[in-house]
Amino acid sequence: MAGGRRFWWGLVPAALLMVGTVLGPLLAPNPIDEPVTVPYATPSAAAPLGGDQLGRDVLSRLLAGGAELLLTAAAVALVVTALSALLGAVAVLRPLVGRLIERLADVLILLPPVLGILLIVLSWPDGGRLALCCAAVLLALPYAVRVVAASAAPIASAGFVEAAVAGGERLGRLVWWEVLPNLRAVLVTLLGLRFVAAVYIVATAAFLQVGPQPPAANWALMIRENAAGILLNPWAVIAPSLAIGLLAVGVNNTVEALAPGRGPVRLARL
Amino acid sequence: MTGAAVVEAAGLVVGPGVGPAVLEGIALRVHHGEIAAIIGPSGVGKTTLLRALIGAVPPGMSVLTGRLRVCGHDVLAASPERLRALRRERVGFVGQDPARRLNPRMRVRQLLGEMAVDAGPDGPRRLLSELSLPGTDELLRRRPGQLSGGQQRRVALARALARRPALLLLDEPSAGLDTALRAELAELLRSLARRHGVAIVMACHDRELVDRIADQVLPLGAPTMSRPVEQPLPERTERTEPGPPVLLGHGLSAWFGRHPEHPVLSDVDLRLAAGSASAVVGPSGAGKSTLGRVVVGLHASASGTLELDGVRLHPRAERRGREQRRRVQLVPQDPLGSLNPRRTVRASLTRPLVLHDRCPAEQRPGRVIELLAAVGLAEELADHYPDALSGGQRQRVAIARALGAEPDVLVCDEVTSALDPENAEAIMLLLARLRRERGLALIVISHDLRLVAAHTEQVLALQHGRALAAGPTTEVLAALDDAGGTALTDSHDPVGRAIRPAGLPPRASARKDG
Repeated sequence: MAGGRRFWWGLVPAALLMVGTVLGPLLAPNPIDEPVTVPYATPSAAAPLGGDQLGRDVLSRLLAGGAELLLTAAAVALVVTALSALLGAVAVLRPLVGRLIERLADVLILLPPVLGILLIVLSWPDGGRLALCCAAVLLALPYAVRVVAASAAPIASAGFVEAAVAGGERLGRLVWWEVLPNLRAVLVTLLGLRFVAAVYIVATAAFLQVGPQPPAANWALMIRENAAGILLNPWAVIAPSLAIGLLAVGVNNTVEALAPGRGPVRLARL
Repeated sequence: MTGAAVVEAAGLVVGPGVGPAVLEGIALRVHHGEIAAIIGPSGVGKTTLLRALIGAVPPGMSVLTGRLRVCGHDVLAASPERLRALRRERVGFVGQDPARRLNPRMRVRQLLGEMAVDAGPDGPRRLLSELSLPGTDELLRRRPGQLSGGQQRRVALARALARRPALLLLDEPSAGLDTALRAELAELLRSLARRHGVAIVMACHDRELVDRIADQVLPLGAPTMSRPVEQPLPERTERTEPGPPVLLGHGLSAWFGRHPEHPVLSDVDLRLAAGSASAVVGPSGAGKSTLGRVVVGLHASASGTLELDGVRLHPRAERRGREQRRRVQLVPQDPLGSLNPRRTVRASLTRPLVLHDRCPAEQRPGRVIELLAAVGLAEELADHYPDALSGGQRQRVAIARALGAEPDVLVCDEVTSALDPENAEAIMLLLARLRRERGLALIVISHDLRLVAAHTEQVLALQHGRALAAGPTTEVLAALDDAGGTALTDSHDPVGRAIRPAGLPPRASARKDG
């Protein structure tokens, strides 16, 4: 079962990251908010990845700083994919609603992402992480809806959907039973891509300091805080950067392993 | 015949790794210029055999043993590159459902041009004229969605011929073509074989075509998962006085998108009595399928009035009541697309029972089996996905699904086109029994005039979207015969101007405009 083995290997990086980010805070050898060495110290026995700008242990902060990023990005990706699946499928089944959704998406796409984040998060100062999530969902949704609607269009005109419409099925049933099951591959792929995009947005927000505030440990925040000392202790910047990259790539690999091998509907069998 | 055979197969066994083989001990030898026909009931593995010849058996199956040489290549041992080269250069393949194999975004000119050996600007024109389609710019500009079913089939054939292949594989080449076009197709295939030395292997249940042109016939054995339809009494329905009309259509017109000035159907009247059967005939592109779609409410750009038992029907299915929708059911034309690929046969058949509350929950499994039996399918088939079904089996499942709703009006769009004559006859007899017992009114859209003559009492002949003649079957068919039979063929009007004005978006997007 070579295919089976490939499947399981695909899950490994993401599984390691999940376990690492969830258990990370427990594994951290040092407290994340107390200095254990001099600022920007090079790696030593006490601090395997050296110290950060305040002399705190980089490894401990790295282990503690992933959970929030991972969970926020995962939540955003799930919400975006679910909403866009519903909206996209409804859009192709009800052309009038579809045109309305499309126009709204056009307007939202015009908004530059960084500006959008700042606009929403700063105008809702008490929103905290929820405000950031809302901003990320709103910014990602128009793109995702477009993709779903485009893939759903050929399915909506297939004979089985027409037979269901003529047979008396309601809209919800058409979406849930006829259209979406045939979009499984598209939706799973979309979930992976949206996760990566959400990581970018959450990391960007942290870098701009509109999301989590110091002294919280957060990979994106660590990159920003320690950028000044990159020549003294490069690990304080490289380690969180690698972690973000691995997370994005790992999740995408997993999604690829989970995605069904074939397209939404087999249009041609040769 | 001199020289090596183009196709040489011996002891071929094809099947899934476990369980019974689908094809066993197949031996086939076809030389240049020969035509071989694979015949057999639906579900017997005709398509699988055709695909095995080019090393592309369906997923989940493999060639287990045997020898197979095509154009001098050992297909079973060839590398993927060699296989691709073989398929590209030596073999033309036209599948059962050509409409879905044509890229909907490409125009006819590009579809033909990208394949043509004869790369000049006139190449596509010449190809089309070989298939008695006019090579006008108007036709070359169209996209597949703007062609009728018969035209799509011929464009797909032209595409396969564009490479001047040594071997031509055809899956049900005559399905969906009217009598005159079938004759032309036979002539064309014969001349391809005789004059150009093309070897042709076709899966076909059109006995007439097979008898006419095939040099050899390979019958395949007992079908898997199909069984003979329980034969209802083959008694003809007695001609009774037409009862009150159950469905009444007046001045039905339809168009695509926002172009009511180019109707595909104009001012057609329809009158169906309970228990009656009416046929809709006409050349491809005459608006037959559109009429069926207007009746069930799938074609929103339509005008005219439709009444079911005296109650006005909304032109759009979404706005009709559930009971109204239950009473008018459609069996769609395209057998491959009419079943949800992600649902088992059982799920597809159970749904109308639940939706329309046709029987108590505990009786549903039994009812599904009854429905399958009624269309001649075995119970084991219920847990399969449409992928595992042949074209004919899917068509029968689609019929069973429509019957599950116990409709009063059933629109059958070419429902027998993928069936062998015995099964087609059996399905028509089943429908005849339902007409007698339940007063089902039937609209039969078909190219098959023999079937129309045998099973319907009224005929509506369409041409360019207008009613050419309407009345009792025998009279109308006789009158059309007197007119030289040309009224029902495409050759008279090969462009099919009635279809759609050029430059309109293809069907999928046109529909959105509703």
